[in-house]
Amino acid sequence: MNGDRRRATRAVAIGWAALVAVLAFAAPAVAEEATPPAAAGQGKESAVLFARHCTKCHTIGEGDRVGPDLKGVHERREHDWLVGFIGAPGRYLDSDPIAMALLEKYDGVRMRDLGITPEQSAGLVEYIRLASEGDLGGGPRVEPLLEREVAFEIDGPSERSGLWPAGIVLSVVLLAGAELARRSRAARTAQVVVVVGVALGYWSLGGQALHRLPGDDQGYAPVQPIPFSHALHAGEMRIACVYCHHAAEKGPEAGVPAVSICMNCHAVVTNRKGRPGDSRRKGATDAVSPALAPLLDVWASRETDAPRSIEWVRVHDLPDFVFFDHRVHVGNGIHCQECHGPVQTMERMRQASDLSMGWCINCHRHEGQPAPTHWQRSEGTLDCNACHQ
Amino acid sequence: MDASDSPERPDPARPDRGRPLPMAPSTPEHAAEPDADEDRFDLLRRREFLGLVGAGFAGLALPECSLHRPAEPIVPYLEQPEELVPGVAVPYASTCGACPAECGVLVTCRDGRPIKMEGNPEHPLSRGGLCARGQASVLDLYDSGRRKGPASGGEETTWAEVDAAVRRDLVAAARAGRQIAILSGTVTSPTLSAAIGELQRVFPTTRHYVYDPLSVSAILDAHERTHGRRVLPWYRLERARAIVGIDADFLGAWLSPVELAAARALGRRGEDTDVPAAWHGQIEARMSVTGANADQRIAAAPSTHLAIVLTLIEEIALIRSRDPDAVLPPAPADVPDLPGVRAMARRLAEAPGRSLLVCGSRDPDVQLAVNVCNELLDAYGATLDLTRPSLQLQGSDAAVDELIAAAADGRVGAVIVLGNVNPLRDHPRAAELAAALDEVDLTVSLSGRRDETSERADVVCPDHHPLEAWGDAHPHVGVYSVFQPVLAPLGDTRAAVESLLAWAGREVSAWEVQRDVWREVLFARQERHISFDAFWDEAVHDGVLALESEELAAPRWRRPEPLAARPTAAALADGELEVDPYASVALGDGRQASNPWLQELPDPITRASWGNVASVAPATAAALGLVEGRVVELSVGGATMRLPAHVQPGMAKGVVAVALGHGRRGMSEVAANYPTVKMFGIERELLDGADVTPLLAVDRVRVRLTDAIEPLAKVQRYDYQTEPFTGKTRPWARSTTSGALAAASAPAEHGEADHAEADHGGDHGEADHGEAAAGGHGGGHATLWPGHRYDGHRWGLAIDLGACTGCSACVIACQAENNVPVVGKAEVRKSRDMHWLRIDRYYDGAEDAPVENPDVVFQPMLCQHCDNAPCETVCPVLATVHSSEGLNVQVYNRCVGTRYCANNCPYKVRRFNWFDYAHDDLVQNLVLNPDVAVRTRGVMEKCSLCTQRISAGKSRARTEGREPLDGEIEPACAQTCPTEAIVFGDLNDPKSRVAQAASRGRAYHVLDELGVQPSIAYLGRVRNRADEPHEEERS
Repeated sequence: MNGDRRRATRAVAIGWAALVAVLAFAAPAVAEEATPPAAAGQGKESAVLFARHCTKCHTIGEGDRVGPDLKGVHERREHDWLVGFIGAPGRYLDSDPIAMALLEKYDGVRMRDLGITPEQSAGLVEYIRLASEGDLGGGPRVEPLLEREVAFEIDGPSERSGLWPAGIVLSVVLLAGAELARRSRAARTAQVVVVVGVALGYWSLGGQALHRLPGDDQGYAPVQPIPFSHALHAGEMRIACVYCHHAAEKGPEAGVPAVSICMNCHAVVTNRKGRPGDSRRKGATDAVSPALAPLLDVWASRETDAPRSIEWVRVHDLPDFVFFDHRVHVGNGIHCQECHGPVQTMERMRQASDLSMGWCINCHRHEGQPAPTHWQRSEGTLDCNACHQ
Repeated sequence: MDASDSPERPDPARPDRGRPLPMAPSTPEHAAEPDADEDRFDLLRRREFLGLVGAGFAGLALPECSLHRPAEPIVPYLEQPEELVPGVAVPYASTCGACPAECGVLVTCRDGRPIKMEGNPEHPLSRGGLCARGQASVLDLYDSGRRKGPASGGEETTWAEVDAAVRRDLVAAARAGRQIAILSGTVTSPTLSAAIGELQRVFPTTRHYVYDPLSVSAILDAHERTHGRRVLPWYRLERARAIVGIDADFLGAWLSPVELAAARALGRRGEDTDVPAAWHGQIEARMSVTGANADQRIAAAPSTHLAIVLTLIEEIALIRSRDPDAVLPPAPADVPDLPGVRAMARRLAEAPGRSLLVCGSRDPDVQLAVNVCNELLDAYGATLDLTRPSLQLQGSDAAVDELIAAAADGRVGAVIVLGNVNPLRDHPRAAELAAALDEVDLTVSLSGRRDETSERADVVCPDHHPLEAWGDAHPHVGVYSVFQPVLAPLGDTRAAVESLLAWAGREVSAWEVQRDVWREVLFARQERHISFDAFWDEAVHDGVLALESEELAAPRWRRPEPLAARPTAAALADGELEVDPYASVALGDGRQASNPWLQELPDPITRASWGNVASVAPATAAALGLVEGRVVELSVGGATMRLPAHVQPGMAKGVVAVALGHGRRGMSEVAANYPTVKMFGIERELLDGADVTPLLAVDRVRVRLTDAIEPLAKVQRYDYQTEPFTGKTRPWARSTTSGALAAASAPAEHGEADHAEADHGGDHGEADHGEAAAGGHGGGHATLWPGHRYDGHRWGLAIDLGACTGCSACVIACQAENNVPVVGKAEVRKSRDMHWLRIDRYYDGAEDAPVENPDVVFQPMLCQHCDNAPCETVCPVLATVHSSEGLNVQVYNRCVGTRYCANNCPYKVRRFNWFDYAHDDLVQNLVLNPDVAVRTRGVMEKCSLCTQRISAGKSRARTEGREPLDGEIEPACAQTCPTEAIVFGDLNDPKSRVAQAASRGRAYHVLDELGVQPSIAYLGRVRNRADEPHEEERS
């Protein structure tokens, strides 16, 4: 019996070790996709409100804009004063001495009435406090995307099946079952069950993102001829998606921007601000970022006999029998990120969704979510010929 | 998990861990161990586990490198063209260069390449229509058989060398006082005329010879005799209440078919009545599209046409109390009156000033008599406009004769042949011309195609395709149109204007020359714009410029010399037939003979594709012992032509009719083609048919039967609307006469409202009236199906059989729009043609009771988008389903090719891809519409009602925040129809044109009795004729 117990312990240990091993390498993928469940609710609404109403004039910790930097404002002013001011700035600016002094300091630009409730106002103050203290963590920090008002926090599409928690549970059950099988002397069954259990755990915890059928290119992130960073341009610089992909609003294809569009900025901007090579820095040389070299190279070639352009590697590619129209989707208020994932965080462009028909249809059936208002007049969205022509 | 920091060897200090354990119980040696079972749960030793983990990592890397598709580049523009949105089609206004009619077109371009031609609705002549040849001309652009650059003596060379050589020879010819002959078809282009003028100025011996392969020289000459001006009248068919066509297929291929068909349809459109407002009679030898559309038709051999016109003159003069003898001698006495001719004369004479004769005869005497007749009808100044005449055809039949004479005498030093003719092929004296050209030092061809003339020429300086070039046209006095290039030339070609001016010593671009010409000639004549650039931009944008003020003085009628008496023609010898060579709807004069779309387009009347046939009347066929497909040999002079026979009801006896433009032996393959049966190694289709151009010069031909049989590639093998075995009439293409309609509507006033509707099957026997009436509009059918709810749109078509002329423009438009493959002659013979839209042609009568001169009705047949679609219920994989907007949808990627649907379709409109109709020709592939999937082998396909155009229209409307307007969305067939016979729209919108058409009294559904409830409504055809058909014509 002792030997059996020892061997049993070992079996369980090996099974769990396998699971932990899978977890270990799958962890980054999981972390990347994790959405903080705790931060939902009031905080999320405040974040959205802040993005919608405040970021045009204020920052938190990035200096004054039209209005003052709000970092630490909860320490400088009374809580009630803040809530009252945010709720009715007009009244304060006319009568309150602090507000009037601030108005004078900021060139007489009056803050407009936001039309929000006192509860929302208090929520904003709380959001500012959290943000000032760097306490948002993985919380509901909303990137204010400039292309349109952010109406809700944009979650990228999940790159994993929604069945993964069930997979983990089943995996554990299977490993436990292996133990039972061993005890009933069905050692061969136990072996199979352990293998299945470990495989399932692997699949659930991230393996599925890496193993799939041909044609499913979710996660595809080819190396591009220029290490173009959406995280820099769309995220940090907050350049609207449709500034470059301007055709997305006008036609079926979003299009890859012409080199001339890059050069609208890069004729002047040749390096990152503050980095070595930034010509505005004291003592800077005129060094151009090496990443820009291919761009400037092809741009120079336009005057020659053999003009060339950049050969980007296509990331999103639908089968030839599928016809997708960006114009309709963008025009109906669907955010780029809903299909393309958190592009503003991607250093290298990655296919976030599997772009499968099931994935399209899930959205068109609006399963698990209310029907967007714009669908009220589009009954035909499940017609085959909407995509197959 | 990291393998490297884990010890791989058993740890001697912990022997239990290192104890070797059996690992794979299935292997025999382990199974043999007695204690194996007990230890088997120790599944993995540590290092084996680590090994597996390592293999797992390797497996992770694997998919990254192997399962992803190959990298596909996206190459963006360097500088974004402002008007261009990727994936959005841009239409550019231009002019069609496929035939001399020069209709206005909008060229649809996707991502910088033209993929489709459509009619320009703002064009005053073509009014938005475009014919089959115009539709197909975009494929000519991508013909990989086009010339890619200049050639000299058959060798490729450079423009500089060619120019130096040509100029040297021209200078030599001019110095020697020898002619420099420019041989061309009609040139209406002011710019090209200016370039020719410049050449004439530099080389004074230059002479311009103009002939037209499909000549109207006789009309021009006749007007010179009657009006003192060599002019082609503008036929104002829209003003006419009575039209008689004589040997003029003006709805098919004669002169300017789109313009004339549109005008005729406009004139016939009745206000709130089913009876056409105009009457049309046709006298012709063969059965033409125009004759098939006439209200009354007389079959008469070409030799009788003069007598017929003289009879018309006599009768009209009698009715209108004029003296015909003062103008022309009476009809030769030995020609008996054909029945019905005098009745036609009466109908013409009833509407003086609103009637006319349109005659396509090449006989100057006939045309002179026609002018007299039109004068008697007061047509000049009313339905025949000589103040703004047509300039489309100005050539003279004598031109080539003169050139041959001059060249044979050695008076010609150089011949420059422009690209719009191919005289060694399309002129009946081609052989003599070729011999005469041997006496000429230099022959230059400007043809962009590889044709007989350019193969023979010393130097070839290929012109652009019309879609690649600047250019202009002047089809009518007062109407100018612009060719604008929509893509850079695909080859190293050069505009004819630039070539001519280069030889005249000016190196300028055609664009500059054209702007100069327009500035000098046209800008001064308009008042809308002060700046030339604004004027020019508007003209290029619109594609057409109408100068209302431009017109010629009305010429006065001159009494012509009486006709010379003609010797009575000898009777036809045994084995001799009169010959009627004609331009077919598909190929015209044959300049597009290498176009596979047109080769595969079935003739509207014979329904045969790929090659021409010798058509004879049933009586003649019986006399000769001919059956369909029997190869006959036509011989005239030294030439013999072999082609299969076709028995054509409605033809005049003793006449054989053959289509021109076929049999390009020099280039014996379609320049680029979708392979027919690639698996058998037959990659290219022979250009079938016989070259019958020599017949243009003769009246009669000897006919000899051979033993050979060549089955025709026909797409329709049953000509009657009766069931083959029961003989029961099934009037799926309904027609009636105005007389029958009037008779039926009289009792309707007494409360039998349904009667008029019932009578649309009028021609087909009383027995069927009840059934036809019961068919009605699909109401009252018992049905097992729950039906469909259409909350939004419900798309549908209404097709007016009264307006449809059978011109087949829609067939090619559909082919171009929907990437329909060409399958080749062998496959067509197996009835595997792929056209989504076909035009069925039915004769009245029955197979066992044929009518000598039958009425013909055309019926465009396409997927009927049934509500209770029989195809949908039998598909085992749901590849054909119903959309929420009433479309019957075919999902190619779901189809597994059972073909159950095609078998269950009562309309036979589904098409199966028996092969991969390979798209190997990468240049030709540029014509493919990127909005439509290219189907693969084993997949069913059919009309989608141009779902991609519906999507685009809806998307555009939604982006603008509105609903699509009626008429904004049009499938390709409806867009191109010159007569607006096809109307598309939302049946749920009661105000839409289609809903109103579908609710008219003569609307019906084909095979309504089946209860499948189609979305396509047909409007029965009403012939504007008293009563019983052929009452007068039958002898």
